[in-house]
Amino acid sequence: MERVKGRSGMGAAGRGWNQLPERARTLIPATILILLAVLYPWYHENWLAEFTNVPVIINFPSVSTAVIVIVFVIMAVGLNIVVGYAGLLDLGYVAFYAVGAYTAGWLASGHFQQVSFHFGSAGISRDLNGIHVNVWIVLLAAGLLTALAGIIIGLPTLRLRGDYLAIVTLGFGEIVPVFVRNGDNLGGFNLTAGTFGINPIDSPGFGEGLNGAWGGLPVNFQQSFIREKLFFYAALALLLITLFCSVRLRESRLGRAWIAIREDETAAAAMGIPLMRTKTWAYALGAFFGGIAGAYYASFKSGAFPSEFYFNISVFLLCMVVLGGMGSVWGVVTAGSILAWLNVEGLANIGTYLKRQTPLDFEVAKYQFGIYGVIIVLMMLFRPTGLIPERRRKLEMEEGVQDESVYGASR
Amino acid sequence: MSEQTPPPERAAESPAPQPETQAPPQQQRANGGRDGVILEVTDIHTYYGSIHALKGISLQVREGEIVTLIGANGAGKSTTLRSINGLNNPRKGRIVFQGKDITNDPAHSIVKMGISQSPEGRRLFPHMSVLENLEMGAFQRTDRQNFKEDLDRVYALFPRLAERKTQRAGTLSGGEQQMVAMGRALMARPKLVMLDEPSMGLAPIFVERIFEIVKEINQQGTPILLVEQNAMMALDVAHRGYVMETGHIALTDDAKALAKNEQVQKAYLGMD
Repeated sequence: MERVKGRSGMGAAGRGWNQLPERARTLIPATILILLAVLYPWYHENWLAEFTNVPVIINFPSVSTAVIVIVFVIMAVGLNIVVGYAGLLDLGYVAFYAVGAYTAGWLASGHFQQVSFHFGSAGISRDLNGIHVNVWIVLLAAGLLTALAGIIIGLPTLRLRGDYLAIVTLGFGEIVPVFVRNGDNLGGFNLTAGTFGINPIDSPGFGEGLNGAWGGLPVNFQQSFIREKLFFYAALALLLITLFCSVRLRESRLGRAWIAIREDETAAAAMGIPLMRTKTWAYALGAFFGGIAGAYYASFKSGAFPSEFYFNISVFLLCMVVLGGMGSVWGVVTAGSILAWLNVEGLANIGTYLKRQTPLDFEVAKYQFGIYGVIIVLMMLFRPTGLIPERRRKLEMEEGVQDESVYGASR
Repeated sequence: MSEQTPPPERAAESPAPQPETQAPPQQQRANGGRDGVILEVTDIHTYYGSIHALKGISLQVREGEIVTLIGANGAGKSTTLRSINGLNNPRKGRIVFQGKDITNDPAHSIVKMGISQSPEGRRLFPHMSVLENLEMGAFQRTDRQNFKEDLDRVYALFPRLAERKTQRAGTLSGGEQQMVAMGRALMARPKLVMLDEPSMGLAPIFVERIFEIVKEINQQGTPILLVEQNAMMALDVAHRGYVMETGHIALTDDAKALAKNEQVQKAYLGMD
């Protein structure tokens, strides 16, 4: 909170703020932010949507854009557990996104035409073939299956350290999309529908009882007139759960063990921290949230396509974490929101604006990864600890940590 | 290791007063092997990659003892500790602790069995506070209710740590960092403590204080395996000693006898 003190030009208000207990200083801004987010569809519809010629950004992000932004923020918060908390550089996070999305494809679509299995599916005709499990359950299943994938990827790789781990995760991140693209004929069995992808995927909903919809809850998001809003609120709820878990995990015994491993792996082992188990937990939990986000996104777009799971998504998510400040939940949310918005429509809008206002004639969106690269380089030069640095992580960046492999020395 | 030099007045302070209250008197634990042997290392061979670092080390630690391992740089003292605590499992040989074979156990289960250590170079978590470091020492323990009791015991041994419990470990002086490292090892409620060069890089006044505390910890009932380059001080507090040379045990005897041994005096105590 030193930074707030530094700006005490705010005078009495600033001083009063500093006297509040730490808990209040965290909770008040969080509550305001949550309220702003919850009310977004309402004030967007009634107020923000009227602006269609805002300088630079042209218009405010629509509710449907906001859904995509939230999904990416959830993934970034998940990746932050792996990279920020435990200090394990993961360049293949897109694999978890893919596993989540395809789990939704398998469990909530007509992909497996040869069977007809319905379990609590909401607003889906019983006559449809395929596996149709209630999407809420699918989200959980996707999280668990992805966590399992995280453990499977983690067990052989987590003995590696630093750059080596990054390279192996990079490899896994490449294997998954290739597997998905070629998974349409596994010994005659069509698992992933190859390049076509799986679609349509069911939407979440609350289904119908004998007397119609339960307590006025929407039967199925897809068939609702306020589809975007429903997806928005559900995404927001998922994000809040993710944030809550993420913050609680950091303060937990496991979170402390992650920090210890990040600071000094050898000392952590000497304290009795089981290295493999603790790192694998980081992988599994990080993957869990990536899987949920992937499944939800697939349900929102109503499809899972192999063309989405490229390496650049992994880097993009990593950018969010680095830019926000590794280990800092609020930093990652901020940077994730900005970058995801830029990616979805921000850059295109800025390009349009530049075209209108200046003689420059080029598509800004075409240079997106160049622009992200420049942003990252500038951040590393001027604020290497991220937008909102985590206190401890900041010290580590400034003073360095012990980093020495425990394994592999003796055999 | 980012070690800051302490402010001059801190280094000049006299060592903290001896705590009056001590933990309950030691109970002779009956769970050791024959003759109260708690740790038995038999002919271990440890490698770093293809480098043969330990070429058949055997040693014993009995209940209530301070055993010291002295020798020149690179003799394999720290490697011996790393072999025992599971950071570098030996390829050959056997390590038995309290009657159980722990030769190939991973580090965390060895800590859980009751061997804790203050590692070489102290290896604190520099960005955690003193208290957080001590908490990490108790990481593998599940009996939260005894935590406070052990914390008080550590603070009684090192009153300075109580004063500095919210300070970041990386900003402490070398002597204080060593205290944190030793306190952290004790927080595991160990049945055997291994100290790796506790006097390394410390001002003479701190060195004396550290060795006093080593003795005190031992008098409270914990056997200690002490690795030291400062052979004179180590043999002074220890009951028995082992002299290591390039991966072998060259000599072993009572500490008093070793201190009088001509070879040892010449090679390690700087006497003619």
